[in-house]
Amino acid sequence: MDGDHRAFLDATLPYMEVVYQVARHAAGAGQDPEDLVQETYLRAFAAFGSYRGENTRAWLAAICLNAARSQARRRRRRPWEVPAHGLLDAVPARAEAAPDVADVVIAGLDARTVSQCLARLPEPQRLCIVLMDVAGYTAREAAAALGCPRGTVLARVHRGRRKLAQLLTEAGVSHGRP
Amino acid sequence: MDDHDRLLAPFLAGDLDPAAAREWDQHLLECEQCWQAVREDRAGRQAAELLRQRVPAGLADRVAFAVELAAAGTTIPRQPGRGVRLRRGRLAAAGTLALALAATLVLLLLPDSRAGMPAPVAVVARYAQAMPPPARQTGLGTGEQAAPVEVGRPVTMTAAGHHIVVRTWRLGGTEVVVATSGQPFPMPPGAQGTSGGGMAWVARAGKVSLYCINGPTSELVAAPVPAAQLAALATRLPLA
Repeated sequence: MDGDHRAFLDATLPYMEVVYQVARHAAGAGQDPEDLVQETYLRAFAAFGSYRGENTRAWLAAICLNAARSQARRRRRRPWEVPAHGLLDAVPARAEAAPDVADVVIAGLDARTVSQCLARLPEPQRLCIVLMDVAGYTAREAAAALGCPRGTVLARVHRGRRKLAQLLTEAGVSHGRP
Repeated sequence: MDDHDRLLAPFLAGDLDPAAAREWDQHLLECEQCWQAVREDRAGRQAAELLRQRVPAGLADRVAFAVELAAAGTTIPRQPGRGVRLRRGRLAAAGTLALALAATLVLLLLPDSRAGMPAPVAVVARYAQAMPPPARQTGLGTGEQAAPVEVGRPVTMTAAGHHIVVRTWRLGGTEVVVATSGQPFPMPPGAQGTSGGGMAWVARAGKVSLYCINGPTSELVAAPVPAAQLAALATRLPLA
């Protein structure tokens, strides 16, 4: 087992960066992302003996998402649920004449606002965006982690990005027009 | 989703062949709706990229440490009758405050007497083995009442389904480990029941004594002091 756990750590620790990105957004209310990362690695270690090594990044992401769901169930809370009242309070109401979404100035965005808007997306779209745009997974890896076709991932991430951009515009993250 | 939107995702992903991609390039010059969709896609992707954060310092050490402990916890029951294979695991759990832990930990050999010890108890005992011996006699009963000082930050570990939070306290010249779990710590072979809140027991694991109080939350106190002193030490700690 000594050799096993060292081989496991050698194979998986290089991907902690991406696992952490996934954990930050998969962790439910009251869940510590660092705890979720640790739980992910412990679960992965327990399953390492049967792992065939197809794609370690995708494998770890799938375990992380499952661990987050399990923990959320244990807490008797719906997974991915974010208190809606807090988000709605933070996002200004839609303006009468909405500015063109293309005028969004990305460089000036507040990450917190982005996070709040991301939390308002449907879960499938949010997961695809987290995996591909935040954690840097390819569409094929995201598909493997989520257990769905690559085309589905591409469609979800596209719809999610558009919706995210629109929510940001509604939140007042815009430039060039009053 | 209309036909344009359905084709847009593969176009943006670079999945179209060169001829189809050229057609789409031309189409985008003429179709305001699709051009808007492309701009929104790009804006959404760039916004999401802002959410990337660096991994906190110390997380890799913490995870490696947890895996080391899990490896130790699962080895023991898999080799019944053969005793515990001697091994030495050097753990760089966290050497600095910036890494959120107090000191580099060295896992020492598990003595044969700990074979059969439940994994949640074994990992705490193993963790406590890394504590330095008391600098001097603790002075219990001599009037010394130094306030406990927490050393480093809490460490979270998992063993056999137990989610355990471990804190280390310095009390006079002695460092004491306090492990807290939502589930009762099982009584190991050779442990003795004792008075205390709920189901309390004491045990010895190598040079470490263990004192457990099982109540609404379960707390396992471990320190390299005689068992007789440990319960008294525990009364001076901020237990639940």
